[in-house]
Amino acid sequence: MAAQIAREWSGIQQFPVATQNKLHELLGKLKLENVSTLTILLMGKGGVGKSSTVNSILGERVATVNAFQSEGLRPMMCSRTRAGFTLNIIDTPGLVEGGYVNEQAIEIIKRFLLNKIIDVLLYVDRLDAYRVDSLDKQIIKAITDTFGKRIWQRSLVVLTHAQLSPPDGLNYDEFFNKRSETLLKCIRSGARINKQEFEDFPIHVALVENSGRCNTNADGEKILPGGTAWIPQLVEVITTVIANGSKPIMVDQKLIEGPNPNERGKFFIPLILAFQFVILDAAFFLPWVEAVDTKGNAGVLVRVEPRHIAPTQLRI
Amino acid sequence: MNCVLDGLLVYIWAELRNWASIVAKLNSAYYFILVPIRHGTLSTLFPTTRRSPSSPEQNPRRLRSTSPTISLAFLGFDSLGFYRATFIRSSIASGNRNLIQNVMAAQVPREWTGIQQFPVATQNKLHEILGKLKLENASTLTILLMGKGGVGKSSTLNSILGERVATVSAFQSEGLRPMMCSRTRAGFTLNIIDTPGLVEGGYVNEQAIEIIKRFLLNKTIDVLLYVDRLDAYRVDNLDKQVIKAITDTFGKRIWQRSIVVLTHAQLSPPDGLSYDEFFTRRSETLLKCIRMGARIKMQEFEGFILDSPIPVALVENSGRCNTNSDGEKILPSGIAWIPNLVEVVTTVSAKGSKPITVDQKLIEGPNPNERGKFFIPLILAFQYFFIIKGIQRTIKRDIETEKRPAWETWASQKADRF
Repeated sequence: MAAQIAREWSGIQQFPVATQNKLHELLGKLKLENVSTLTILLMGKGGVGKSSTVNSILGERVATVNAFQSEGLRPMMCSRTRAGFTLNIIDTPGLVEGGYVNEQAIEIIKRFLLNKIIDVLLYVDRLDAYRVDSLDKQIIKAITDTFGKRIWQRSLVVLTHAQLSPPDGLNYDEFFNKRSETLLKCIRSGARINKQEFEDFPIHVALVENSGRCNTNADGEKILPGGTAWIPQLVEVITTVIANGSKPIMVDQKLIEGPNPNERGKFFIPLILAFQFVILDAAFFLPWVEAVDTKGNAGVLVRVEPRHIAPTQLRI
Repeated sequence: MNCVLDGLLVYIWAELRNWASIVAKLNSAYYFILVPIRHGTLSTLFPTTRRSPSSPEQNPRRLRSTSPTISLAFLGFDSLGFYRATFIRSSIASGNRNLIQNVMAAQVPREWTGIQQFPVATQNKLHEILGKLKLENASTLTILLMGKGGVGKSSTLNSILGERVATVSAFQSEGLRPMMCSRTRAGFTLNIIDTPGLVEGGYVNEQAIEIIKRFLLNKTIDVLLYVDRLDAYRVDNLDKQVIKAITDTFGKRIWQRSIVVLTHAQLSPPDGLSYDEFFTRRSETLLKCIRMGARIKMQEFEGFILDSPIPVALVENSGRCNTNSDGEKILPSGIAWIPNLVEVVTTVSAKGSKPITVDQKLIEGPNPNERGKFFIPLILAFQYFFIIKGIQRTIKRDIETEKRPAWETWASQKADRF
């Protein structure tokens, strides 16, 4: 994981011409807005297709994809330049291990991301999973706790295995809509995004099909069952998310460590001290009384403190 | 008091029965008597109304009332003197809202009409397999489906029976209710039990296991189908926990009578692997997980041998399954999967190991109080003969050999003088 000089994005030559043209167009638009670098972070459960998506976008086999073994606990960042534009894609290990969220993986990811700026988060999941349960909510909570709620303003959901045959009784679009709705509802409740924020920054859903058996259209581009070429569409959605007005997430030490628990409620400390002083040293509020002091002088104003006065000495 | 009351009621009922059958014979009419009876006397009065294990779609949520229930019995007598009893069980206990109970008379399982829907070739093969089973005097077969949620258990049930018995919803978890479906065909009864998913949000759902155990009480399981998806790419600790839970519930022996069923069989394998390679790797990983989770060792001296490996069957439940020229649903390898599955099931059930009877003992597990009971008298005997006797002997010896202090001897001398 040494710092690498960003390599030339040679994989883009492998795409069909139509895809290359669209990608160049999108990158050109980004550069017009003075954005010359883009950092994408991929997160999600294990075995959903994060590394495959990285390989598909870059057009080369950067990440090892193994159908049966969990990937190692090592995040990986791949940088490619093209015509002055730098694209950084960060691939992370799966967050779920055997039924629970893998805290060690989260720690490793945090340490890896120190002092990097994240432009877009891609939350990856499978399109052909039929249940969304509390485990997904725990993952989303873990992501929210790591980066803060603002990450969801700059994120999109990626559903892999897009070239699926939907189950009986549902056509492809209905299935896709229900799946995205369920997943977005889970994100909203797990990250506690309220309705207003969700309407201001809606989370887009993109479809991806990474296998070699993906259907192609006349131009040779890989297409979804709907007919759209998914690689340019994905990059387009990413550029839309960047331009929605939110700020990129800067991962600094403060963000990683989280709020300092010692700072909490510090404001109240002087107030409590003052209150205690008043209660315990209540002499402040006792009445003044004229009395005769020990030397015999009269008219001395003395505070009456019950504990200082023996009954025989009281002369009022 | 209770037994006196029961005895009295039985006597009264016997008399009433005789009277009513005689009257009915004379009048050739159908008589009804409506009488309240106590809850506990039902089984003594009506021995024919056993709860048959093959009644279809039993609702396992039995009403439990802690206070006595009053049952109203309709006794019907026809002209031949046979009586049929139907019950309306009402309860005076608070909290029971459902007043009508199932009909307690023995029910006949339904005809397997769904088999007509299969293409002719499949029907022929199924009839052949069922015929072979009946030759071996097995006229009933109970299959239990278990696995995680959302893998296709209810869909498999629908596919085998050929009708939509279980509700399948792509996005909602099924309810926590096991369901048993019985179908007969040419004298052969097939019972298939569908269970809720064992995994809920990352952990094994103990409540579902309890419900399944209670549902399976007094049933005999011939074959267990462990269902999972073919297109899942990871086998992790969660699968091992599911398998451990199944082993803890039924005992290790269940795996001698189990089959692994992989759904979504019509998948395109990931790049770089052919379908057969993918299937082999997936089954190997899953079988290894089962061996580890159930702690089945391959050595003989462990006392438990898995003599043959657990078979793996492929299943494709969607309507888009490819069909061959006969119209049968086929796997990518070309074999029709419905007859294949039933054949594997019959092979496993004929293997020679005993089917698993789910009785109270199995459900509760071994009584921890029984453990090491054999040693208690031995330890007591040891303690008595060696320890207690030894201490007594030592004490007596000490008493005899001790030197008496001076004041004692002086006191006894003084006492002697008087």
